[in-house]
Amino acid sequence: MVAVIDRDLRKFRRNLVVLAVSILMPIVYLVILGNSFQGKLQKLPLVVVNQDSGPYSRSFTERLQAVEAGPKTLKILTSRNQKDAIEGVRKGRYKAGLIIPPDFSRRAGLKGRPEVGLFLDNSDGISSETIRSVVMGALGAAHVDYISIREKTDQILIREINLYKNVDYYQSLVPGVVIMAIFLGTLTTGAFNLVMDRFLGVDESYLLTPLSKTDIVAGLIISGLSVTTIIAVLILMASVLITGIAFSGGIRSFGSILAVIVLTTLSLLSLMFVILGRFNHPRIVGILSGFLNVILFFPSGAIYPIASFPQWLRIFAKVNPEAYAVDALKSILFKEAGLEGILPDIVFLSVFTAIMMAIAIATFKRTL
Amino acid sequence: MAPRDKAVEVIGITKKFGSIIAVDNVSFALTKGEIFGFLGPNGAGKTTLIRMLTTLIKPTSGEAKVAGWDVARKPDRVRREIGVVPQAMTSDLDLTGFENMDIYGRFYGIPSKERRARVNDLLERVGLQERANDLVATYSGGMRRRLEVARVLVHRPKILFLDEPTIGLDPQSRRVVWDFLRKLREGDSVTIFITTHYMEEAEALCSRVAIIDSGKIIAIGGPDELKSQIPGSDIITLTMEAVSQALVETIEHLPYVHRVNGKEGSIRVYVDNGAQDLLMLLDELRSSGGKVLSATVHEQSLEDVFIHYTGKSIREEEAKRVSFLLGAGIPQKWGR
Repeated sequence: MVAVIDRDLRKFRRNLVVLAVSILMPIVYLVILGNSFQGKLQKLPLVVVNQDSGPYSRSFTERLQAVEAGPKTLKILTSRNQKDAIEGVRKGRYKAGLIIPPDFSRRAGLKGRPEVGLFLDNSDGISSETIRSVVMGALGAAHVDYISIREKTDQILIREINLYKNVDYYQSLVPGVVIMAIFLGTLTTGAFNLVMDRFLGVDESYLLTPLSKTDIVAGLIISGLSVTTIIAVLILMASVLITGIAFSGGIRSFGSILAVIVLTTLSLLSLMFVILGRFNHPRIVGILSGFLNVILFFPSGAIYPIASFPQWLRIFAKVNPEAYAVDALKSILFKEAGLEGILPDIVFLSVFTAIMMAIAIATFKRTL
Repeated sequence: MAPRDKAVEVIGITKKFGSIIAVDNVSFALTKGEIFGFLGPNGAGKTTLIRMLTTLIKPTSGEAKVAGWDVARKPDRVRREIGVVPQAMTSDLDLTGFENMDIYGRFYGIPSKERRARVNDLLERVGLQERANDLVATYSGGMRRRLEVARVLVHRPKILFLDEPTIGLDPQSRRVVWDFLRKLREGDSVTIFITTHYMEEAEALCSRVAIIDSGKIIAIGGPDELKSQIPGSDIITLTMEAVSQALVETIEHLPYVHRVNGKEGSIRVYVDNGAQDLLMLLDELRSSGGKVLSATVHEQSLEDVFIHYTGKSIREEEAKRVSFLLGAGIPQKWGR
């Protein structure tokens, strides 16, 4: 038995990179995980449509501006047009829209029941909850300053309008689950088969045939695409059923979802090709897979909103294909967005795929 | 020899891996339709040479034309004309024998009807038609090798390269491969380039042989032609208790002895008439006081040619270089 241990340890010691990576990895995990669950959301875009010029509304918006300047929870934008503002929330430009009606100050002064409207993008539960409580706080404070103490604060009414159907926590995880399925699919197909062929030495007969670089790279990517798409669609259907998402989008929504799944799969498969394209041992793939999963998945916004990330991680999320995939899937599943709603995501994923595939083909070695 | 009769033409080809010269300024040519053997010990540069000729690695310098195309400049054209059986087994274990061949044929864009007929014909020729629909994982080493030899012919290559095709095969499978190659040459007039370190293989198959050692060709010619370059037709090998310089000299001066090689308790004596000369030699030794432990007589073979030129019979292969940092899991190039 000692000999078994010895043999194993020797093999491990001959792979110093694997050893180094196994030590570094937990630290990287900690930094990324720690930062992607940091909690404090910042710069949530809130659009304010102030149709009232009275003292109460001024005080109220000043409170909100104080939040923007202080804890930086909000990023306040203003608009004159209520319709534009709501449309902006729907399109994902803002997380919420606050409508202060013309009679707000008058009603508050007359001890009537002042109302504000808050349109929330509730597909992102954590962000919308944060905005709601900030707005509530600001309203409460404005109230206390200007209205007599006898006045009950709950007399100001927030007319809360959830733009979408309620999304519970489990449902909000579904896009992440699908992305995870895609990630795992792309890891065990495509470039991995190339690594295995090299490991087994059977790549030699491939390279001896008239197949071009493009034939080999694109061929492996497309076969990986078909397998991964099937896995991802099955996982999606299962998790929609389990979490009970009311999926009412019909065939067009399904088409959009399929497009997102296909493009995400292509992005990841070509990314894997670029990263794994020259390795020839499955152990390297094993080590890298854990690493890639952590750096791609957790900063994707699948679990916690990107708005809570520190600056450097947010920049990373801007080039992370999984972040766009999560955004697109959330839009389709929870906001019933059509193709035009997810166009920026589609464009990014397509460009990302094209660039990565070009690099993969260019760096693929046609010789031994 | 007019250039168009040449299936392969190699001029001063060299391959260096860092400071190691694997193939050193090698030149030769293959006539269409011949079986040409590259004979050498492990690590002599045979595989490197075959990989350069089959476009798998780029030569450091020199030039090679295969089927009239330059291997460095027109690798695509070369690949269409050749079939290669690499030293390692390269068939897919999780496909059946038929599937392996069929997919290989599709790599070359052979239409399906023609492909099916061709694959079935080839499987029959290597005696695998009954196992055609079994997974390759269930094949023995010999069967797998036979499959690979058949697979490489699906696209009717003009030139066939085989890198140690019978290494580790049982005698029966080896015979099947030999017969198959001979028939190929006769029936389909394929030019065959084969590397081997089995002398009897080179002798049984090849019309011409090049002997390679440490990356250099040291002799080239027909097997008989090569053998005729060393004196005598038979070799007597004696194992002795002790071999002294005086003893070697005594034997050297005997009238029927052409040449003597003596080292570490064994003497090789080159003579013309082995059986007769052995008896005389034993008498001579007995009278001069040498103690003979064993004596054998054999006809000259290419092995003796090899020993004649290199002074040794076989050598250990150069260790593959593996990166200290990354172990065996990284591309070879980075490991160097």
